[in-house]
Amino acid sequence: MNGIYLDYQSSKPVDPRVVEAMLPYFREKFGNPSSLHLEGDQATEVLENCREDIARFIHADKDEIIFTSGATESNNLALIGFALRNRNKGNHIVISEIEHISVHNIAKFLEKSGFEVSRIPVDQYGRISLQKLHDRITEKTILVSIGYASNEIGTIQLVSEIGKLCREKGIAFHSDAVAAEGLLPVDVTKDNLDLLTLSSNDIYGPKGLGILYVKEGTKLNTLMIGGGQERGLRSGTENIPAIVGMRKTVEIMQKEMDIEVKRFTQYRDELIRGVLETIPKCHLNGHPQHRLPNNAHFRFDGIEGESLLLSLKDKGISVSTGSACTSKTLEPSHTLIALGLLHEEAHGSLQLTCGRFSQPKDVEKVMEVLPGVVERLRKLSPIYR
Amino acid sequence: MKSTNYSEKVLDHFRNPRNVGTLEGEDVAVGRVGNPVCGDLMEMYIKVEDDKIKDIKFKTFGCGSAIATSSMITEMVKGKSLEEAMKVTRQDVANELDGLPPIKMHCSNLAADALHDAIKNYRNKSKSMSAPTKSPEEKREIIGEKEFENKGVYHKADDLSIFKDKRVIVLDKGDRSQEIALNLTKLTSRVILATSSKDLVTNPELKIKLKQSDVKILYESEILEIRGTNEVEKVLIHDLNEDEEYELFVDAMIIL
Repeated sequence: MNGIYLDYQSSKPVDPRVVEAMLPYFREKFGNPSSLHLEGDQATEVLENCREDIARFIHADKDEIIFTSGATESNNLALIGFALRNRNKGNHIVISEIEHISVHNIAKFLEKSGFEVSRIPVDQYGRISLQKLHDRITEKTILVSIGYASNEIGTIQLVSEIGKLCREKGIAFHSDAVAAEGLLPVDVTKDNLDLLTLSSNDIYGPKGLGILYVKEGTKLNTLMIGGGQERGLRSGTENIPAIVGMRKTVEIMQKEMDIEVKRFTQYRDELIRGVLETIPKCHLNGHPQHRLPNNAHFRFDGIEGESLLLSLKDKGISVSTGSACTSKTLEPSHTLIALGLLHEEAHGSLQLTCGRFSQPKDVEKVMEVLPGVVERLRKLSPIYR
Repeated sequence: MKSTNYSEKVLDHFRNPRNVGTLEGEDVAVGRVGNPVCGDLMEMYIKVEDDKIKDIKFKTFGCGSAIATSSMITEMVKGKSLEEAMKVTRQDVANELDGLPPIKMHCSNLAADALHDAIKNYRNKSKSMSAPTKSPEEKREIIGEKEFENKGVYHKADDLSIFKDKRVIVLDKGDRSQEIALNLTKLTSRVILATSSKDLVTNPELKIKLKQSDVKILYESEILEIRGTNEVEKVLIHDLNEDEEYELFVDAMIIL
């Protein structure tokens, strides 16, 4: 990181302590858990120990953890794997309007494959109402998938209550908790979860590893066919260095999360207060209270996000935007549209997410630079008068 | 290729845009183009003397390439004859900037269109904006208006407290509806006033109040349909200016 990095939601550096823990598993401890010799036995042992430690992090049992290549694969296995296996019970799946793009696109795929998908709208702060969820559930509903918290606007959902409702109705509940992990105490028992997606990089572990928690008794079809690893649910030789890395990062998290979250909350609140007080015609997106401790998300009347992002880039500040002009499809963020924003409003959004290596000076720098950048772009704008 | 993979020249024009601003006067014409899907909007002002572009200014809402192409074209055509300026194409602008990311060629490269529009307006001796002016259509029933009556659609607004923290869209029906919109801002942060006309028809005092308030005014917009499951969840809006339809998530609609 050379400048000011405030885009932890997109990617995180791997903690140096994690890199250290992984190193021996590239060279000396390289065994394949499927092998029957000494190296293989050692690999099996470390794999199962890691599984147990990672399971404990979310209050799960070790046999309920499936290692995958990342959150996208976990979401695929959860939704498609569950839908295909449980088709005889019904063909209806419920998600929200503000799911992560992977869940949205998986849902579209399932629609093409003959499933029906309902998308629950959210309120102006990005929360789904239990009543609306309740109303959408039918006799054919087999699965509800609602993100733990929004990866864009940071709004936290009433996860355990959604889980409770699903359990009462006998419907499986999946949650993608990538945005929330390491920031909120995810607990599969308290949250009444049947399926849960986590990623390693989002808690400062290596990329290329995710997990899917599969509650005992939950049946899935496999999507990756091969040598039958991970109880046959996910074939492919286990990525032991990454798994060891994730175990290390979970261990650090358990010790440091509380202090870290306090620090993030302070940065976030300073940013939100500072920006809203200093810059006219500026709004906070997402929930004023129930939001991730590291997430500040704004929109500025009359300016467009990509030009905002580029201007901040010139000043050495890395951020995200929900603007269409930075997306592959040139469509504005579906999450911002679901909040009830107009296209022109969604275009003027700015997302700032802090993380482990953020410092108070990062917030100061943003406050020093951002008002001027917004003012300059507004002078160019025909719609800000 | 990344959508923000810009040439140095694009970045230079983005960082230091030339000829930003507006022009006024008898010999000035304005061109205006926009693509609401991509979110770019450009206004090009030309001052013409002896059939030549004596001065040119622009204002642009949009991404890096939208701003850079606007700036670039002002440099390219300043001093040129109207005929020469009409010949400048989108491709010419992109070439002059050492290229644009492919995805930006179409939607953020509208500067030539805005310029041509301004020239046409000058030739037509019409100094008005190019936007087609459509007269508000006859009142007709909105699809779903009956279905969602009292399930998010209200024809009276005596008790505003039911709209607390809701996203409310108010159909403009003159002073009374506009006052309701203003009063709603005390109860919720999201109030939209939709009018089919280009400007609000109201008394000057109320107009100023509305413009200074948090009411979001949607001009030249017609509500076609109210959608939802059991209750209002969104409305389908027809943007008369762009002739485009889009959905907007709301919780309630007031139709006096």
